[in-house]
Amino acid sequence: MSATRLLSALRSRIGRDQANLEYKWMTQAASHELDLVAMIRRRLVGEPLQFILGSQPFGPLNLLTRPPVLIPRPETEHWVTRLSQFISPVAHKPLRLLDLGTGTGCIPLLLCHLWPPGAVKATGIDVSDAAIQLAIENAALCGIAASHDDNCNKNTFLAIKANILDPCLYKNPAIQRPIDALTSNPPYISWKEYFHLPHSVSGYEDPKALFGGPFGMDFYHAIADFITCDGTLSPGAVVALEVGDGQANKVQRILTNTGRIKHTEIWNDPWGKERTVIGLA
Amino acid sequence: MQFAQDIKRLKQLKGTESLQNAWNQWNQNHQSLTETTSLLTDADPGMRGLAEDEYQHLSNTLTDMLKKTFPSLLIPPSETAGLSALMELKSAVGGSESSLFLANLLRMYLRLADAKGWKTVIVSKSDTDEGGVKDAVVEFKGEGSYDDLRWESGVHRVQRVPTTEAQGRVHTSTVAIIVLPLSEEAESGGDSDLFNMEDVKVEVMRARGAGGQHVNKTESAVRLTHIPTGITVSMQDERSQHQNRRRAFQVLRARLMDRKLSQEMDERRATRNSLIRSADRSEKIRTYNYPQDRVTDHRIGRTIANLKSVLEGDALEDFMIDLRRNYEETILENVLVEGDHLSAI
Ligand SMILES: C[S@@+](CC[C@H](N)C(=O)[O-])C[C@H]1O[C@@H](n2cnc3c(N)ncnc32)[C@H](O)[C@@H]1O
Repeated sequence: MSATRLLSALRSRIGRDQANLEYKWMTQAASHELDLVAMIRRRLVGEPLQFILGSQPFGPLNLLTRPPVLIPRPETEHWVTRLSQFISPVAHKPLRLLDLGTGTGCIPLLLCHLWPPGAVKATGIDVSDAAIQLAIENAALCGIAASHDDNCNKNTFLAIKANILDPCLYKNPAIQRPIDALTSNPPYISWKEYFHLPHSVSGYEDPKALFGGPFGMDFYHAIADFITCDGTLSPGAVVALEVGDGQANKVQRILTNTGRIKHTEIWNDPWGKERTVIGLA
Repeated sequence: MQFAQDIKRLKQLKGTESLQNAWNQWNQNHQSLTETTSLLTDADPGMRGLAEDEYQHLSNTLTDMLKKTFPSLLIPPSETAGLSALMELKSAVGGSESSLFLANLLRMYLRLADAKGWKTVIVSKSDTDEGGVKDAVVEFKGEGSYDDLRWESGVHRVQRVPTTEAQGRVHTSTVAIIVLPLSEEAESGGDSDLFNMEDVKVEVMRARGAGGQHVNKTESAVRLTHIPTGITVSMQDERSQHQNRRRAFQVLRARLMDRKLSQEMDERRATRNSLIRSADRSEKIRTYNYPQDRVTDHRIGRTIANLKSVLEGDALEDFMIDLRRNYEETILENVLVEGDHLSAI
């Protein structure tokens, strides 16, 4: 089938305007017509465009994407950009940042990119080997050094394998404490919601990256336990947690109940949904 | 001497350097002419011949200076000379035929940019299925590109038989073009003297349901609204939200800059009785007639007989040179009127 025939099929699937845009982007990425035809076919069966093209812009960065690692979302891009202005670290006095469930590494990498050199030493943890591998590749692609040993002239990002749900996480020697900034976009989809996900999500992205326990809240409780441990957060530390539709108030309460957070606020995403819970230690 | 007075006025009108040069040159030539005149009656016929030649040459030079050099010094330097251009093309009357013509025009301008050595970026473009372009925004980067292209603003009309027309009837379609000035300001966000960041509403365009982890549809379109003026700019061509935002701000800045320039011009016009007309963007400025193989620019009343030489050759530049000259003549007239006005005071 010709590319144009496939385009018209794609239009009836995802709408004319979206199909035209995606067709253009695929054409730009395809090296020849057969390539393009193969891409549209994959798109037609529901594969996310980001996996077909192998990348996703995130702020000024262009990150590699590869199944089954979760594709960075525009909602995340928005709050991380806002966070980069909310906290203003200065060069040569690096703050210590920990990102829980780092996936592609998008959150710490964007902050490393936006903040002045030597302003942050970031560590990301994930249980998925595929995610760790991809985060490391993305760091290299973005020119972010992958070692904390160096002097203070550069921002650095280290991706390591560790489990958020492990009650002994705070004892992990690779995670240096106290932490000045804790970020996470943990899996937050509940059982009920999981079965209503579009095929492009549930069929291609890691269930481990999406499923947050029966009510989608398991990871928030684990993160609360982690910050409750003595010496985890530095005084004045910032905690930023992405939440699912309708979870913000519950997560806000969970954070407050740790007794370690003095002030909380909720940030909306550009679509008007409560998306990020911010806590200040 | 009459001239000395004029010089004084000229100096006020323009930076003195080029004026000083012209004046020196005038004086030198004038002096040589005086010297040569005495040799015109020399006893030696050979010397007389030489003197005649030189006399002729010098008086030509002086006439030339009077006719061209001095008047051109009266034209104030263009305030927009350093600016690049942003061109917005929109298909108007004529449906798909208008879009096909827009594609022709776009190619014409890209070719021109190539010849001029300007860098071009297609900021946004929506293609039609028939191979036309519904609308496009193009950036022309290069000094003088705005001054060269600004006269392209207006309605361009095409008269031809569409390929789809079975009866062979000539259709008339139009494309509207606006050329905006592009300043070399910091490219993304941030306040500038053109707007305050708080006055710009940044919105996303499509609904996303629950959003977040539930949805992995590409979503990068943005819309800006400049609240004080009501100007809106939408951008969706890039996969990068960041990039779309940058480009939308670029277009917004250009539109505001354009507004500012025309406001300044209006003010000047109001206070000084200016002869310079404001450009009317709904005005039909040029007709591309295929059956008669001609292009006519209605503002200067000039027709170029070979249509292809405009669309695919370098005849477009002929129009541009004429348009610019036409503008400079108006400015000159204007300066002289103002001058009369001043000396009458
Ligand atoms: C929703 S994704 C977020 C990825 C990335 N931070 C982003 O915003 O695009 C959640 C990530 O958490 C990781 N993850 C899931 N369970 C985990 C666990 N128990 N410990 C550590 N990471 C986990 C997944 O592999 C996935 O990469």
